[in-house]
This record gives sequence, C-alpha cells and structure tokens, in this order.
Amino acid sequence: MSARRIVLTSGKGGVGKTTTTANVGAALAQRGHRVVLVDADIGLRNLDLVLGVEKRIVFDLVEVVEGRCQLRQALIRDKRFETLAILPAAQTRDKEAVTEEQMARVAEELAATADFVLIDSPAGIEHGFRNAVAAATEAIVVTTPEVSSIRDADRVIGKLNERALPYRLIVNRVRADMVRSGDMMSVDDVCDILSSELLGIVPDDEEIIDTTNRGEPVVLAEASRLGAIYDKIARRLEGELVPFTRLDEPGLFGRLFAAFKAS
Amino acid sequence: MLRGTPEGLEFVFPTGSFEATAAALGERLAARPAFYRGSVATAIVAGEAPEPDAFAAFVNVVREHGIELRGFYGPAATEGLAAVSGIPFLGAPARQGTSPVADIERRRVARDSEIAITPEARSLEADFAGARADLAARRTKRTVKVTAIAPRIVIPVEAAATRYYRGTVRGGQSLQHVGNIVVVGDVNPGAELVASGDVVVFGALRGTAHAGAQGDRAARVAALQLVPTQLRIATCIAAGDSTRRREPEEARIEGDRIVIVPLSKSAP
Amino acid sequence: MREFASEVPAAPPQEHGRGRSIVITSGKGGVGKTTTTANLGAALAARGARVVMIDADVGLRNLDIVLGLESRVRYHLLDVLEERVELDDALVRDKRSELLFLLAAAQAREKEDVDTAQMTALVERLRERFDYVLIDSPAGIEVGFRNAIAGADEALIVCMPEVSSVRDADRVVGLLPPAMRPQLIVNRVRPHLVRKGKMLSVDDVNAILRLPLLGVIVDEPAVITATNRGEPVALDASSQTGSAFRAIAARLAGEDVAAPAPREAGVLAKLGALFRGRR
Repeated sequence: MSARRIVLTSGKGGVGKTTTTANVGAALAQRGHRVVLVDADIGLRNLDLVLGVEKRIVFDLVEVVEGRCQLRQALIRDKRFETLAILPAAQTRDKEAVTEEQMARVAEELAATADFVLIDSPAGIEHGFRNAVAAATEAIVVTTPEVSSIRDADRVIGKLNERALPYRLIVNRVRADMVRSGDMMSVDDVCDILSSELLGIVPDDEEIIDTTNRGEPVVLAEASRLGAIYDKIARRLEGELVPFTRLDEPGLFGRLFAAFKAS
Repeated sequence: MLRGTPEGLEFVFPTGSFEATAAALGERLAARPAFYRGSVATAIVAGEAPEPDAFAAFVNVVREHGIELRGFYGPAATEGLAAVSGIPFLGAPARQGTSPVADIERRRVARDSEIAITPEARSLEADFAGARADLAARRTKRTVKVTAIAPRIVIPVEAAATRYYRGTVRGGQSLQHVGNIVVVGDVNPGAELVASGDVVVFGALRGTAHAGAQGDRAARVAALQLVPTQLRIATCIAAGDSTRRREPEEARIEGDRIVIVPLSKSAP
Repeated sequence: MREFASEVPAAPPQEHGRGRSIVITSGKGGVGKTTTTANLGAALAARGARVVMIDADVGLRNLDIVLGLESRVRYHLLDVLEERVELDDALVRDKRSELLFLLAAAQAREKEDVDTAQMTALVERLRERFDYVLIDSPAGIEVGFRNAIAGADEALIVCMPEVSSVRDADRVVGLLPPAMRPQLIVNRVRPHLVRKGKMLSVDDVNAILRLPLLGVIVDEPAVITATNRGEPVALDASSQTGSAFRAIAARLAGEDVAAPAPREAGVLAKLGALFRGRR
C-alpha cells in the first residue's frame, strides 16, 4: 500500500510551511506512522534546521536525482522518532537543478516504503513550487489570517485546482485576542473566503520560535499546547473526526466545531 | 602512478612494464569503484610504446570505472594506438612543473562575486561523492570504524596551488579547489569549502569544510574560530559541536577519527 | 563591537536628475519586505521625495493591498512591459501623498513572463522621473528575484532575528553583485524574547551577515492592523514602528540619525551604540 504524498504549500512566504511540515510529520511519526519529510526548497533549505539535523547531511535531493547516491543513503533518520526520516534539499544549487518528473519519481520511490511523504514546498508559485506539487497527490495549504497571506493562498488553490489536487487548510498563527478585538480575521472568515475544508487551527505561540531555533519539534515537549494541536492534525489526517479547539471564541472550549468528512 | 592535476587525473606510465603499471592502477581503481566516477583523465606514456592489446585493455578498465579518458601523451611511436583504442593522441608529454609567473598568477587574490566550480576542481567532485558514498555506506551498514586508506594521489608540491579568497563566503556558495584553500574572512553556515589539500580559515568557519577530498588523510582544517556545521577530512566526517571556543583550532585525523586540537598545541 | 558601516556612505553620490533604484529583498518570505517597501516609500514621500514603488511579485501581488490601493489598480507591470498601456496609465497615485506612486504586479500572470532586459529598461525610465525607485522583490531566489534585482543599483536586505531568515538572507547577499552594497534592516525584533535568550539579537544576526545596519524595527501588533487597513504605519506619528521607518528613510537619504529613544530597556538601549559612527 503506497504512502500518501502530501505537499505543504502556501504561496506567501513565512506563514509556517516548514514548521508545520516538521511538526505534523513528527506528530504522525509519534503515532507510529512511517514518515518521510522532503525539503523541496533547493538553495534555501530550512527543514533540516528546523529538525536539528543539519550537521548530519551527507547527500541531498539533487544528488539523488543526479544519480550520485542512492535514495536511502540520502535519508537522515531522526534520532528522536524511530519512524521519521528527512530528505534534505541542496544548499549550493538552485531549483532548476530538478525537474517535475524527477521529483515525482523520487516521491514515488519514497512512497513505496512509507505511510506518509510530506513535501515542504518553497514560497511562491515558480519552478520550486511546481516541483513540490509534482511530487504530491494531495495538499495542505498553510495560511495566516491576514490579507496578503489569504490572497496568495487563493492563488495557490487555483493552481492546485488546475491539477485536480485535493487540499485542506491549516490556519496558522491565530491570535485570539486580536480576533476578539476585530483586528484579525476569524478562522471562519478565512475558510469562507478560501472555500476550503479545515484541517487545523494553530495559535500564535512564542513557544514555536524557541523550538525552531533549537531544532526540536514541539510535539516532543510534554504538556505542550501546540504539541496537542499538531497531534490533532495528525489524527485528522488519519481520518479521525476530531473537534476543533476554537481559539477565537471567548473561553478556550467555547464551541465545538462540527467535524468534516473523513478523507 | 595516479596524479591529480588542474586538468584532471593523470595515469602515468613510467619506463618499465606497461602491463605491471596498468595492473597496479587497475587494482587501485577496483578497490574504490565509485571514487573516481565522473572524472576526466589523460594517460602519459613515458616509457616505450606498449602493446596495442595491453593499451586497449587498460582503456577498457578505465572506462568501466566511469572515467573519461580524454587522450594520451607519449613518444611518436605510440601514435598508432589512437586508431586501435579510439583515444586521441595528444603528442609528446608536456613539460612538467610550472613557472614562477604562473604560480603568482594562481595565487592572485580572487575576489569574485561568483564562486563557480573551477575547471581544475571538476575532478574533485567525483572524489567528493566517492568519499561521502563511503560514509553513507558505512552508516547504512551501521559500521562505526572508518576504513583506513593510504593516500592515493600524490600531488607534487609545486603543482598544488593555494586558492586564496578574501571576504565572507556566504551560505550557498561553494569553493572547490585542487590544492589548499585559504579564506581571509568568515565561512557562513550553508557555505562549503572542498580542497584536495588543507583548508585554512582566517575567521570563523561556520559552514562545511572538506580537506583532503581526494583521499589525503594528512590534510588539516584550521580556523581562528572552528565552529563548523560539518567537517570532512578524506573519508572521515564529523558533525560540528556548538561549543564556542576562544582560540584558533585545527582538525586532523588521528587513528580513525577527526580530532580537534588548539592550534598552539598542534604538531606540524 | 565592530563597526560595519564606517566606509560606506548611506547615500551614494547621486547623478543629477537620476533617481536611486533600490531593491528590497530577503530570501525568506514573510519577513516584511512588502511592508518595508510601502512604509519606506511613504516615509520618503513624506520628506518631499518623488517615489515610485514597483511590485515585482508577479502572480502574488501584495504591495497594493498594504497601501490600500487595490481598488485603484487598473493596469500592471506586464501591461507596461508588453506595451499595452502607457506607463502613466499604469502608475497609481497614493491616496495620501502626491509624490508616491505604485506600479502593481499582475495577479494572473507568471514571473517567467517578465524579461530582465525589459525590467532594467523600465527602471531606467523611472529613474529619470523619480528620486527613488523602490522594487519589492518576491521571496526566494528564483526568476522573480532575479527580475527584481535587474536594474537595481542598491539593495536593502530585510531579515528577521531568526535562524532560517538569517541563512536565507546570507544566501541572497551571496547572489547579489557586490556593487549593490546591500544594507540591512532587522525586522520584527521582540526585545523580551531576546532578553530571555529565545530570540537572536541584532548582533547575532549581523555577526553572520556583516552588512551596514540601516535600521531595526521592533515587532508591533499595530503593523498587522495597519496592513489590514491599507495604511502605512510610517504615517502614524504615535507608532514606534512608524518612527523606525521614518528614521530609516532619513538614513537612506544620508542623514545621521541616532537610534530612537528606547522604550524598552536592555536590547534597544544598545542600539544607540550600533548607529554611532554611521556617516
């Protein structure tokens, strides 16, 4: 049974694709799935940093594609999660080094021995984005409740529709206080504008900055609010119907949000 | 004997038995199959002309190892081998050694905004891949010990120019050189230096450095501040540690591992 | 601490009648390039300079939103480059200032549609009419970035005090021609996190980037609000971020501006030392 190949994309840069890829991947691995994370941001690689494996990189995606090493030689096994591996991008190359067909083939090869392949897309909608999407059969669109970000997500969704790729939404960096005061859009507003199914709501939390700097997925911390939320996202990806924690309502568990169709 | 030069690999056949030298070279290539894959090479026949069969057999061996034999030098009597083997005859062997002017030219400060792979370093790429393939294979088989290898290429001191770079080497830039590399400035994370000789950074080395990339285990990496992401010497790889040091340090191979010692305490 | 700026003048000698062309770029997305372009433009115009801002993020345009001008955009960059309209028809005048203009990106096109040579020629034309041509670069280092730097003489690197952002900024600096003399703006600093050791300090950032420091901007919720309302915070006299942008504009114009009076002790207090010695 071949793995699900999911690209995480956004259009807008800096909304949290890489952090989301790392943490959702870690959450899935923590639940026992075999997960491979692929960094498709050639030339601006960051997934390795966020996971703290940059010192262990020997081969990268471009060398796999060029046949200078085998795929399994390039994979870095995470020391904290038995079933998590990372395929890093190259830093000294650029995105034109890889074609869409090559990306698709690498992803297929990875999918043969994994349950989930998560592909971290670069920002934008250029060659790098197209490569990342070529490797996937479904998508997660990451956005923040902020005008520019939503507009870019909308453009990306258009591109995904062109390729008939199913997608769901993660709304990142929600600030409940600002939603309440009317200075930030609510999650409902975002979903309405993008007419998209919701996969997760992630609050803005300073915890993420520190864990990113230290290269430690937040699901590793005990009793972490963010860790619990990523775990829920993982469960929804498994198909479980998990109620959403509404952050923009007064009171944390103010309203249970009706769940959605299983994937 | 096998040499690395600015133009690529050189298979040198001195006077004496061609077959014996060819066999020895063949053994070296066979011991490390992936090491030289992708390199370009020339052959230099310094002695008498070999038998066509022996030459053709040698050419096949080279080809099997994925090395492109661009041509061969030799006395006039060897010209006929070109037709038999399909390898172009390049004439009499070129004069060895370099002039002082050429040396100075090469040592001229290179403050380029683009750091491209120099032609002489193209052969280095194959070595680099070979070294890492070795490590990856060890990691997959979970063997911890590094296989000891003798230095395979002797680079004559006169021919090993030092590439001298002033300024910060930025993330994503790659400096590759057959010879030593000296940087006056920092080497940022995400930058890589690959040298067949030593690597010296008169600044902070925060990126990745690979010294002895063609197999010279005696190569060193030294820096005023040695805080690399990763260090490689020949086929040994070590992850950097993040402790900040206060003094210049040098990395070298001792036994099977890379060790780091303060420069003040380092033996030559 | 080391001086990085001593030999580099903030304002290069300006050819008479020819404006300065400056690309604002970062590598990493979401660090504030567009907000910086908009606010710098507004602040420079407020000082009396004629400014045009080009949104080079074809397909993902945002500069118009940040300025609140999206409803006024009728033609865009590609309409001009492909000669379907005159430049003047495409330039959108700002709501608030007579001196500030916008050339919007195309939303329904691709970055590959822009020709570098055409872009350079356009920037040259604009330099004859404006004192400043600010080019808002897209994220990344692909075609869009390469188009954005075409025609620019100077560069501003916007960087957040965060490891990925620093790495990406370093990559970009390595790709820029050194003649561009890039300068650094450190954006979205959160002093309380720096104090707790959970965020890089400005010194940490510039220990890697080694660039002349043009400005430091502290993170403020007011910026998001202003963006959502389409009003550059540089025009808000009460905003700390606004005054930081105004100071940056002044420095860009060659004034020797000291760091603003620190409201937060500790990290910001050290900023004064960072700016001393800038010519």
